[in-house]
Amino acid sequence: MEQQPGAVWVVVEQNGGILAEVTLELLGKARDLAALGGGAHASAVLLGSKIESLAEELIAHGADQVILMDAPRLTLYQNDTYALVLAELVKKHRPEIVLFGASYYGSELSATVAAKLETGLAAHCLDLYINDRGEFVQVVPAFGGMILGDILCPTARPQLASVKPGMFQKPDRDTTRSGETLIETPTVLEGYASPLKAVRVVQSQPAGLPLEKAATVVAGGWGVGQEAWHFLDQLAGELSGAVGCTRPALDEGWAAGEHAMIGTSGKTVRPQVYIGFGVSGATHHMAGMKDSGVIININKDPAATVFQVSDYGVVADAKELLPVLLEKIREYKGKSKSQATIKCIQ
Amino acid sequence: MNIAVCVKPVPEPRHYDKIIINPATKLLERKGIPMIINPVDKNAIEAALQLKEQFGGKVVLVSMAPPDTRETIKEGLAMGADEAYLLSDRAFAGADTLATARVLAAGLTKIGGLDLILTGSASADGGTNHIPSQLGELMGFAHLNHLTELHLEASTIKMKTKIENGYVEYEGSLPLVLGVARELNTPRYTTLMGVVIAQNKPFTTWGLKDLGLDPSNTGLSGSPTQPGDLHMPQHGQKAQMFAGEPEDMAGKIIAILRTAGVLD
Amino acid sequence: MLKLSEQQELLRKVVRDFVENELAPIAQKIHEEDTCPVELFQKMGQLGFNGVFVPAKYGGTGLGFTEQAIILEEIGRHSAGFAATLVAHYMGVFAILNWGSEEQKEKYLPLLCSGAFGGFSITEPGGGSDFAGLQATGKLDDGEWVLNGRKCFITNSHCMGVNVMNVNTGVDAKGRPQISVFIIEGSAPGHTPGRKEKKAGLRGSYTGEVILNNVRLPQSNLLGQPGDGAKISLGTLGVMGRGGTAATSLGILRACLEESVKFAKERVIYGRPLSKLPNIQFLIAQNRTDYEAARLLTYNAMGMKDAGLPNTAEISMAKFFAAEAAVNAAKRTMDLMGGYGLVTDYPVSRYLLDAMGTIPCCGTSHIMQVIIAGEELRK
Ligand SMILES: Cc1cc2nc3c(=O)[nH]c(=O)nc-3n(C[C@H](O)[C@H](O)[C@H](O)COP(=O)(O)OP(=O)(O)OC[C@H]3O[C@@H](n4cnc5c(N)ncnc54)[C@H](O)[C@@H]3O)c2cc1C
Ligand SMILES: Cc1cc2nc3c(=O)[nH]c(=O)nc-3n(C[C@H](O)[C@H](O)[C@H](O)COP(=O)(O)OP(=O)(O)OC[C@H]3O[C@@H](n4cnc5c(N)ncnc54)[C@H](O)[C@@H]3O)c2cc1C
Ligand SMILES: Cc1cc2nc3c(=O)[nH]c(=O)nc-3n(C[C@H](O)[C@H](O)[C@H](O)COP(=O)(O)OP(=O)(O)OC[C@H]3O[C@@H](n4cnc5c(N)ncnc54)[C@H](O)[C@@H]3O)c2cc1C
Repeated sequence: MEQQPGAVWVVVEQNGGILAEVTLELLGKARDLAALGGGAHASAVLLGSKIESLAEELIAHGADQVILMDAPRLTLYQNDTYALVLAELVKKHRPEIVLFGASYYGSELSATVAAKLETGLAAHCLDLYINDRGEFVQVVPAFGGMILGDILCPTARPQLASVKPGMFQKPDRDTTRSGETLIETPTVLEGYASPLKAVRVVQSQPAGLPLEKAATVVAGGWGVGQEAWHFLDQLAGELSGAVGCTRPALDEGWAAGEHAMIGTSGKTVRPQVYIGFGVSGATHHMAGMKDSGVIININKDPAATVFQVSDYGVVADAKELLPVLLEKIREYKGKSKSQATIKCIQ
Repeated sequence: MNIAVCVKPVPEPRHYDKIIINPATKLLERKGIPMIINPVDKNAIEAALQLKEQFGGKVVLVSMAPPDTRETIKEGLAMGADEAYLLSDRAFAGADTLATARVLAAGLTKIGGLDLILTGSASADGGTNHIPSQLGELMGFAHLNHLTELHLEASTIKMKTKIENGYVEYEGSLPLVLGVARELNTPRYTTLMGVVIAQNKPFTTWGLKDLGLDPSNTGLSGSPTQPGDLHMPQHGQKAQMFAGEPEDMAGKIIAILRTAGVLD
Repeated sequence: MLKLSEQQELLRKVVRDFVENELAPIAQKIHEEDTCPVELFQKMGQLGFNGVFVPAKYGGTGLGFTEQAIILEEIGRHSAGFAATLVAHYMGVFAILNWGSEEQKEKYLPLLCSGAFGGFSITEPGGGSDFAGLQATGKLDDGEWVLNGRKCFITNSHCMGVNVMNVNTGVDAKGRPQISVFIIEGSAPGHTPGRKEKKAGLRGSYTGEVILNNVRLPQSNLLGQPGDGAKISLGTLGVMGRGGTAATSLGILRACLEESVKFAKERVIYGRPLSKLPNIQFLIAQNRTDYEAARLLTYNAMGMKDAGLPNTAEISMAKFFAAEAAVNAAKRTMDLMGGYGLVTDYPVSRYLLDAMGTIPCCGTSHIMQVIIAGEELRK
């Protein structure tokens, strides 16, 4: 069937039949945007092989329509084949907006499709909305997140955007929702030979990085205490980050060594995320981490100075919170990805 | 083997806390921040120099930037590249990634005879990481981004690229456009002799006419995306505070970590 | 207006890149352990730092004194002690380059450019300022020179590759002491390091005794003619030693400026950054002005030398001013920091000791003033 004008598409990211969280988050947003666009469709574009069963799940999370392309050639994501079929689908159905998750795959795929269609693409969006002039505003970070810019795409269509995970609320699963599934076939791939061959995909935890290079720094202060300290190491492991500490934690002998101390006498770190436990917020320590991207602190004292330089503050007992947080993160990751698996592509 | 490395002059990232938005003009002000070659572009130069050492040929630098970035680009010549091409024209200003890729592709095509085009995986300022893919598409070359390993054996190239929690192994053949990740190598230090020699290496500047481009395809007017307002994120203002049961708090923290892009 | 060329600015950038990655992280450690990072010096050789003003045909980079000063300022910014190593090295290199025979230049300069440490030895226990009173001797024996004596305060004493040595070789026709200069390889029999001094400042360089015990040298190791000592030493000290030490002090001045700004912005008292207090702003203004004045004096003196102009007074003023200003700036920066200045978690107490160390190096402030006044009164 023909699509109504103004459709908003979400390019589904799935891994071995498991939907990425960001896809579901984008479905919620797509539906809002489609509604503003005059009751158009929010469609999920599902590419892969033996994945029909996911269509229901996508509808339950807000898709009005699933555009399904199920073919052995699409078993695993490969940029060139996925980009070719997507560009064809876009040309055929002319959606207004196409959203991608800003994962490694998603940002590469979106850039490739945008070039094929010679249209605009906003990168790693933090927010998307329709302004009072009816324009689709895409808020993107630049200069390492120090600046946010609004991006508009006035004339070229569709408007493409890749969106960071976690920006939008995942809609509740509603199995009573109904939607249609549109089956497409990848005819463009007939006779197409990929110049690149993906030999295999290896999922593994990257090796631990030195403190200054880690994207996530888990910092511990005196409030963590000796018994709970090992949770920090595990947490950093799960987040592929590194553990830093304050001077008292070093002096107590809990931290790995001098190289872990953050502050005027230690390292200066600028991670994407700093998450501190039981740190009071002395300027000596703060001098070494104040330029971090997002600063989260956990302290049992609601009046702790550290909250003045934090983006997020959690008033809690670090010793109690750490084991729970660790378990929840493991649970979350177990759901979204099976760890340390090696898949071979034939 | 002839290799082009795309290099972007960027304001030095460690000074990004000094960038402000002028309240009157609404434009970015980055006074006094020194310009450098985008850090990861040096990894791309390093990769190119290693390939040249192994297989011979030449390494050329290509940059679309204003004329005053000449000295910044020279550092790449000092590191060991053979020639530089600066693509510079009023008509290129305000380009989005597609319009940038068009100009770079025109320059690279005019240089001609290239087997491999390397870029950084992302710039420190714009940081969209679109360029490697878009350049590849416009050049009609196969392309990959976030390259962490590269081995050239006879006619096949073996590569690894980064993904969340892992990597993908690829095989392919030239020509290619590859976006290089920091993990690929450690850029060499520049020798002082390199600095001296760089002064006499060929440095060519091409404008719109030299590249035979139509101004409606370049710069702001050739960009499908248009910039709107700029904002400063509300960091360090007032923390958003949470209190409650450990389970709930853990859930909040997970949501924040995901938003910040460190948990996927 | 003083403006460095674009090539010089690029050179500064690449030197800074190296120094920030390789030296800055170990600066405090080499100070605390008082060790000279020998491998780092060798790496610098590979990059062309060690022979920056030596012509390419001898393995150098073929640049000038301004470039030499840029390198020393950048190194001095993080470790004036390690900069002292390079100053002493440059003195040895400079002496051979200027007064060496073609054979001597071909033999020693490529070594010195590629990683071997150079040195320049004058000072003895009997005095550094009293050049004519040197006690170490060189005597001709069977067509060979035999050197004996004890030098002290010799930089690179314990890692010496090629030492340029001043000794007394008798008296001249007018009966005045005749000082001659020899090139001695570090491994020459009888040339050994003695005590390594435990310095308070300028640590991160080896300074110690060099003992000459019947060191036998062929005629070909004599630098210049017998009796050329005064000419060679004053020339070397004047150009390389003082210019290099001025540039090192300039590095300390920049370190003080940058650290004072950083601390004033980071330190919060009365709920506001320290930098909001006017008296703190005055200190920063003084650090800035001292740095600027020293910078102009130093690069102007170096530029004159590069242009082939005499610069004895200018270089002495640069050394005098920069070394004294560095001491003042370090003290001022410690004042600004309150108690923290004294804590070795911060580098400023090291800057103070290093700045004090630059005063005696290559001629004290008193001697600089004697020279400056002498030039002025001679007019
Ligand atoms: C010259 C000098 C240099 C220094 N350099 C550095 C430096 O480089 N780096 C550095 O870090 N420090 C440095 N310091 C020390 C600095 O001044 C502070 O003392 C230090 O940072 C405080 O560490 P802290 O936050 O771990 O401990 P504290 O200040 O003791 O704070 C502990 C915090 O934990 C909280 N807490 C306690 N129990 C719990 C719990 N169960 N759950 C949650 N929260 C809890 C408390 O409310 C408190 O806020 C320096 C000091 C000097 C004098
Ligand atoms: C606040 C802000 C937000 C922006 N958001 C968007 C957006 O959402 N969508 C969009 O299309 N554009 C956007 N831009 C514009 C974009 O940054 C520019 O088009 C830029 O010229 C190229 O993109 P990049 O730096 O992001 O490239 P990236 O793809 O991140 O760069 C990767 C590599 O490409 C090479 N490269 C990039 N630019 C050049 C160059 N000029 N010369 C030579 N090599 C180069 C380098 O090797 C670099 O390492 C934004 C700009 C700003 C300031
Ligand atoms: C870290 C360091 C490294 C050094 N490295 C070397 C090196 O590599 N090679 C080398 O040969 N030497 C080296 N020296 C020695 C340095 O050159 C001497 O310390 C310096 O020349 C002063 O000599 P002195 O210490 O014997 O002091 P003295 O000459 O004894 O001077 C003592 C005091 O008398 C004053 N004074 C002396 N003569 C006069 C005068 N004519 N008029 C007015 N006042 C005067 C001085 O200013 C000083 O205040 C080094 C010194 C230091 C501290």
